[in-house]
Amino acid sequence: MVKIRTNSFVNRKRTKEKENPNLTKLVKNLEKNLKNIKTLLEEPNDLVIRKFNVRGSKHWCATVYIDGLADGKYVRDHIIDNLQLETEGKQIPDDKQQLFDELNKNFLSSSSLQIGYTLDDVSNGILNGSTVIYLDGIDKVFIIKTQGWEKRDIKEPVTESLIRGPRDGFVEDLRTNMVLMRRYIHDPNLRFKTYQIGRRSKKSLVVAYIADVIHPDILKEITRRLESIDTDDAPESGFIEQWIEDNYLSPFPQIMNTERPDKASAALLQGKVVIILDGSPFVLIAPSTLGSAMQSPEDYYERWTIGTLLRILRYLGAFIAIFLPSLYIALVAFHPGMIPTNLAFSIAASREGVPFTPLIEALLMAVTMELLREAGARLPKTIGQTIGIVGGLVIGDAAVQAGIVSPIMVIVVALNAIASFALPAYSLAIAFRIILFGFIFLAGTFGLYGIIIGYIMVNIHIVNLKSIGVPYTTPFAPTFFKDWEDLIFRKPVPQLTKRPEYMETKDKQAVDKENR
Amino acid sequence: MKRFEYADEKISDKQILVAVPSFVIGIGILSLPQSIASITMASDGWVSLLIGGVITIIITWSVAKLSASFPHQSFINYASTIVTRPIASVLTFLFAIQATSITSLQVRQIADIAKHYLLKETPVEIISLTFLLLIIYAVAGSRIGLFRLNTMFLPFVLIVAAIVIVFNINWFDLAFLSPTFETSFSGYIEGVKNSVLSYAGFTILWFYITIVKEPKQTPKMAVLGMCIPVVLYIFLYLTCILVFGNSVTSNLQYPTIELAKILEIPGGILERFESLFFVIWIMAIFNTTAMTFDIAVLALHSIFANVGKMKVIFIIGPIAYVIGMYPQDLVQVSIFGSFIGYSSVLYTVFVTLLLFVIAKIRRVK
Repeated sequence: MVKIRTNSFVNRKRTKEKENPNLTKLVKNLEKNLKNIKTLLEEPNDLVIRKFNVRGSKHWCATVYIDGLADGKYVRDHIIDNLQLETEGKQIPDDKQQLFDELNKNFLSSSSLQIGYTLDDVSNGILNGSTVIYLDGIDKVFIIKTQGWEKRDIKEPVTESLIRGPRDGFVEDLRTNMVLMRRYIHDPNLRFKTYQIGRRSKKSLVVAYIADVIHPDILKEITRRLESIDTDDAPESGFIEQWIEDNYLSPFPQIMNTERPDKASAALLQGKVVIILDGSPFVLIAPSTLGSAMQSPEDYYERWTIGTLLRILRYLGAFIAIFLPSLYIALVAFHPGMIPTNLAFSIAASREGVPFTPLIEALLMAVTMELLREAGARLPKTIGQTIGIVGGLVIGDAAVQAGIVSPIMVIVVALNAIASFALPAYSLAIAFRIILFGFIFLAGTFGLYGIIIGYIMVNIHIVNLKSIGVPYTTPFAPTFFKDWEDLIFRKPVPQLTKRPEYMETKDKQAVDKENR
Repeated sequence: MKRFEYADEKISDKQILVAVPSFVIGIGILSLPQSIASITMASDGWVSLLIGGVITIIITWSVAKLSASFPHQSFINYASTIVTRPIASVLTFLFAIQATSITSLQVRQIADIAKHYLLKETPVEIISLTFLLLIIYAVAGSRIGLFRLNTMFLPFVLIVAAIVIVFNINWFDLAFLSPTFETSFSGYIEGVKNSVLSYAGFTILWFYITIVKEPKQTPKMAVLGMCIPVVLYIFLYLTCILVFGNSVTSNLQYPTIELAKILEIPGGILERFESLFFVIWIMAIFNTTAMTFDIAVLALHSIFANVGKMKVIFIIGPIAYVIGMYPQDLVQVSIFGSFIGYSSVLYTVFVTLLLFVIAKIRRVK
């Protein structure tokens, strides 16, 4: 279905080839086992090792965990207590293997218990916040989930705020995010498939989908791409996005990200895949198209008239965000005859004394705008306001008074910036701002002809672009008229009975009116 | 379970329905009312346009029928089964030459018009070069991408044409319509000839029907698609006559663009609409040229199968550019244009008849 690049754009040099020193089997001697794990981690001071006797017997055992990753109170109450107190007065088998089985069956009152055989199992378990229980004379260990690190509370997403809609957002913790997804979709067919990403830092990555909705080819392709990831560490889901996207030269984001569980769950119900990476509050939605990037969950929460108007407004915003400065340049510098006479006079009057051509003027202002945006995003919130004031003065008043730019140019650039912030997807807005500069140059050299050439170029690019095998311009072209009822115009919710046709979902019907 | 078939390199009937008008609507209509008006009286040109349209639709249907009866076979393959492989190769090669020269003509003409209406000071060579590079970029992408571009651009083109017609209603003068049916028979024939030339869009059917998924309905769709330009051209022609009158129309170089010039946009947010009209029309011309170039590539590629697509593109591109730059002035361009027009129509008719007759004689199914 899909061709994918095999080499990455920047070839990362790996520090060393993969070797597996830790696949060494555990040994029977407790001391030696403990020494092994200590040497492997070089005895950090947050490694807690507690050696004790199983009560009523001469069997030595030991618990090992990392303080802070594992919940110390839980370890004491449910593991050490059980081994030391619960065993009292009970028949403790002398045979070591029997004791091991007995502990497994009767004494360890933990809901999640695994058995580990290698040093690798042990170190991964410990570094994941599990507690490992050694028993002397046995070359196996218990690995008990005791995760208990500090987590951020579920808060309203910072990057995507809505007026109306749920207030919860994803957090950095994978498990919490999965819980959020489960709370949004109560469907037994909601599946989570787990992968380990990274050579050095093994991060959990979860692919969520609804088994009887998603098209199997999409799942297969996503799986294949995820398995091709070869990296030291994935600190943010952006790494995953860049590894699995179709075209790394394109300015357009082929995979959407969101902090909102409601948006993610809506995508799941449309037959898409949601990728959650441990440690990142941004989940990825794939495949995604241009049309879906222009939508916001709020379009559905408000009534259809509002939703439709908002979408039309957004497409208008996209047009302004891409074309306004270049159209201004083309009209002023190349086709002044096209501007209505009175306006042409006032533009000419306002440009009097401006030493630069419209192209230079527009570039100056657009670059200033980018600088302000970047500075505003990086600074602490308290200083950020200063930037707003300074920027407002620089970009607005002072530049005009100094005669560097014309007031109309200020209006054009300001309108352009506002329009680009009105788009719901930040990554798409940035893509538009990149394209904007291309258009400014084209308009500066060829006028309107340059703009149309650029427009056709962008179109050629996006019709050839795919997102996990789905053409980026669906459902505009390839055309799916059925899907147009939820594209720019949004039908009233009770009439949106079908899942998107272009996703070719297994279960086409979102609502079945007859059998309801 | 179905695979994601719509993402594959196959097209549907509906895309042929869109591709045919996208291919036909182009530079031709910009000057067509002039050439028709100059040989017919008053508003009689529509008769020529209609008859020419019917003839074109018949040719379209027969070409589509012929190539649809060999589903999933490229032109060179089914031509080889009908007339031997060497002859089929020659026929394909001639198609490639024809497509290349049409490409260069379009590239030249668009530069001439753009220079006239948009960029007075930029040399023609630069304008054509940018356009040709754009075409090359489009053709270097996937073929299905061209069809998607058709779908995305055709609505704009039809809308802007509709705007030109509707907003000119104020200026209509019904007196220009009469006297009716005063044209001599030879005038009609001449008009039919001119209109058939501007409708000529059968070439794409030879080559693109091979990638249609289920070509059963394709002849019907091609005919439906052909009806769009026929109707549009008749309307645009009548608008020209109603606004300018026959004598003015026959003296304007690009009457259709001039129509846009006198149009007033309500609210007065923009003047000189003809620039914007032509800018939008560039999309139509782009579609035509990109598909023509793609056919040249496809034809050459089918003869020399082991030469890569990009190589073929980079061989044809410079040639097309040089041919396009060769004519020295507008007169030479128009002579070149009518030569290519005649030859392509005659060639298509010739190939259709040849294949039809020999297929019947040799009973090739």
